[in-house]
Amino acid sequence: MLQEGISRRDLMLGAGVLTAGCLTGEVIYAQGRTILRSRNKADIESLDPLTMGTTQEREVMTATLPRLARVVTTGGAYDWEPSVYVESFEIVDDTTIAFKLKPGFNWSSDFGELTAEDVKYSFERAKGDSQWKDKWAAFDRVEVTGEYSGNIVLAYPFPAFTLTVLAHGMACVVSRAAVEAAGGKYTVEMPATCGPYMVKEWIPKQRMSLVPDPQWPGEKPDFDEVQAILVAEITAAELAYEAGELDVTQISPEGFLRYEEALPAGSAIANAGHLNYAWLGMNTEHPKLSDIRVRKAIQHAIDVDTALQAGFSGSVIKANGIIPPGLAGHREKSGYDYDPEKARAVLAEAGVSGLELDLKTMNLPERLVIAQVFQANLAAVGIKVNIIPLEVGTYWNQGREKKGEEWKDLQIYLTRFGGGLDPSGYVNWFVKEQIGNWNWERWTDPEFEELYLAAAKESDTEKRAEMYLRMQQIMEDTGAYVWLWHDPESFIHRTAIVPSIVPGGEFEYAYFKKA
Amino acid sequence: MLFYAAKRIGLTAVIVTAIVFTLFCLIHLIPGDPAAVALGPYATPEMEARFIEKMQLDKPVHVRFLSFAWNALQGNLGEDIFSERPVSRIVAEALPYTIALAFASLGWAILIGIPLGCFSAAHPNSWIDRLTGVISIATITIPSFVVSIYSLLIFSVTLRWFPVIGAGEAGDLGDQLWHLVLPAFAVGLGWVGYLARMVRASMLEVLGETHIRSARAFGLPERVVVYRYALRVAILPTVTLLGMGFGSAFSGAVFAEIIFSRPGIGKLIYDMVVARNYPVVQGGVMTAAILFVTATLIADLVAAALDPRMRANL
Repeated sequence: MLQEGISRRDLMLGAGVLTAGCLTGEVIYAQGRTILRSRNKADIESLDPLTMGTTQEREVMTATLPRLARVVTTGGAYDWEPSVYVESFEIVDDTTIAFKLKPGFNWSSDFGELTAEDVKYSFERAKGDSQWKDKWAAFDRVEVTGEYSGNIVLAYPFPAFTLTVLAHGMACVVSRAAVEAAGGKYTVEMPATCGPYMVKEWIPKQRMSLVPDPQWPGEKPDFDEVQAILVAEITAAELAYEAGELDVTQISPEGFLRYEEALPAGSAIANAGHLNYAWLGMNTEHPKLSDIRVRKAIQHAIDVDTALQAGFSGSVIKANGIIPPGLAGHREKSGYDYDPEKARAVLAEAGVSGLELDLKTMNLPERLVIAQVFQANLAAVGIKVNIIPLEVGTYWNQGREKKGEEWKDLQIYLTRFGGGLDPSGYVNWFVKEQIGNWNWERWTDPEFEELYLAAAKESDTEKRAEMYLRMQQIMEDTGAYVWLWHDPESFIHRTAIVPSIVPGGEFEYAYFKKA
Repeated sequence: MLFYAAKRIGLTAVIVTAIVFTLFCLIHLIPGDPAAVALGPYATPEMEARFIEKMQLDKPVHVRFLSFAWNALQGNLGEDIFSERPVSRIVAEALPYTIALAFASLGWAILIGIPLGCFSAAHPNSWIDRLTGVISIATITIPSFVVSIYSLLIFSVTLRWFPVIGAGEAGDLGDQLWHLVLPAFAVGLGWVGYLARMVRASMLEVLGETHIRSARAFGLPERVVVYRYALRVAILPTVTLLGMGFGSAFSGAVFAEIIFSRPGIGKLIYDMVVARNYPVVQGGVMTAAILFVTATLIADLVAAALDPRMRANL
């Protein structure tokens, strides 16, 4: 073939040209401006409030789209405040919220001013066919009372509506005209924005860049550009931070411990809320665990303090229930103690000996360490434990009836859920209808069911807290839970910046400041 | 030659089909519920139902494969299930970064490995030959992901000579090359050893042949004998190896792309397998398979062009 016209030199030249061709792109990078570089742990898939799902998508949306409220943390408790778009915001009664928008916020691409019609369109659209429609269950309609004003009407009282829905990215307002012009839905190409920042460019699988919107009437953001750089692996992000290529990133539990011992120069650690909750669960229907005395014995046999020290070196808050600190119903103490003698006595009373249990856990390093501590704890009281580490997808099938037969042999398991800013989002997984789905402990209690419904509608904070405390006591009394930990979303950042991170771990780019 | 080329291309098509079908089946055998993994543990039954319908997870594997193959033949690799972007576009965006990494990795390995092998063969059993042998074996035995991690820790995090993440700014060739140095070093290092050993072995064999003795008898300079006469024949097995090397660089690139957060096709496939985003996995795997067998095909055709005896063997 080479003799027929293509020389080796031509071949090499072609390869060189191909390589060079692969390297050329089209955008020139701007230098000399204040750029905030943060980590995106996954790529952007959707910026439509209807279909968005991830933290990083909400981070972009809340910087570029209006909301009526935002989350604030006051004295360790979570609350909300009206957003900069709102002139007035009033809880009229249990089912009515009146709002009035400030005039002068304009949509990009000449889609006019932000109006109450946009709010109505956005919220009613979200209730209809949204990935988040369950969260919108309490919402009924928006009554527009003026160009900028309206009433949000709820179908039933839900005191946490503003905090859990309106202050969340799912309640970002879109431009009715722009979305309708785009065919009623969109994914990553936002048809119009109206926020402190606007999208400069999105390079798939690389980064999302935001720049201040020149027509923004409010306070100009502190940074000339925000680059949310895709670094999927958290340890790679930590290294990128250490190498100076990121200014703020979430860190792993191992990274947290490492940085606590030796913090890089000019760095600080910030913790968002401890909204995650972990426990050792027991399947109350399994023959080996159907005797409540066996479950109670396990509660007494587990040394949670030692396990948390081994797994996290004390970087997490010990849990005494499922509701984390800062939320109504958080428990300061559980009703059982680590007491191996008592555990042995209860097991003897139940006439149980030679018990062997399978402990299932996700194959994460800290959980495997903790599982080994449990294995030793339970061995000390005469229970042999086989640790079964599972990959994430396989693990989440273990207790779900429609995912196979594994639930029938589920015994004990180390599990962790994440929650929101209202206790109702924590207890809902343990109601009767969740048996076979997320209530892997498979118990039910009529009082718990009643309290669940009543607490969600109770507007008196103290009464509400009492209800959630009682619900956790009921859970604990089943013997099916050993409360473990509330871990924080932890971040490392340059001391030259003051990050704004909501309790769930989302960045609020518009509120990031230079120190 | 044309007949040989046609036979090889036909065989390539069969291989690609077999690879894609096998991987297609394997993807669907991955344990774990795709809906639970993709949508998260709190997805509602309605969301899961929509996901299953969209992904055709309620249909048998062979039906899904035939549907995928038919669409692929028409240039349609489907849509990303989340962003709804065409898979072909997503793959096309990632591909240049992996091709660049594969070429750069093999490029520097060729530039170092082949002269090293020639030099060793020209000076057999000398101390430099022995040293080259030790270095070659060492580079072959160290996995590329270990080289990636250590080079990142040493040259990026500690010394800060090279960047840690990304592929550089689009449009800035210098920046892109800067970002390419460490990944290419990590992926190509093992190939330096492979090429050096392969060329050395071939050269030693060729240098003992009669036409080389004749060349020396005619008084040709040793440099001409080694690099013009001997290397031309000894390079043949290496050409075939390079075809395989391109595919190997692809698999090595997966680790390098993950560790250096490069947006290449290896990392794309890895991320999408984890997310159970099957359309992108299928499109990515098919593209990677085509690239692998195409590289092998080109290497075989080049080798056949250089050595007519090979055309008789398919």
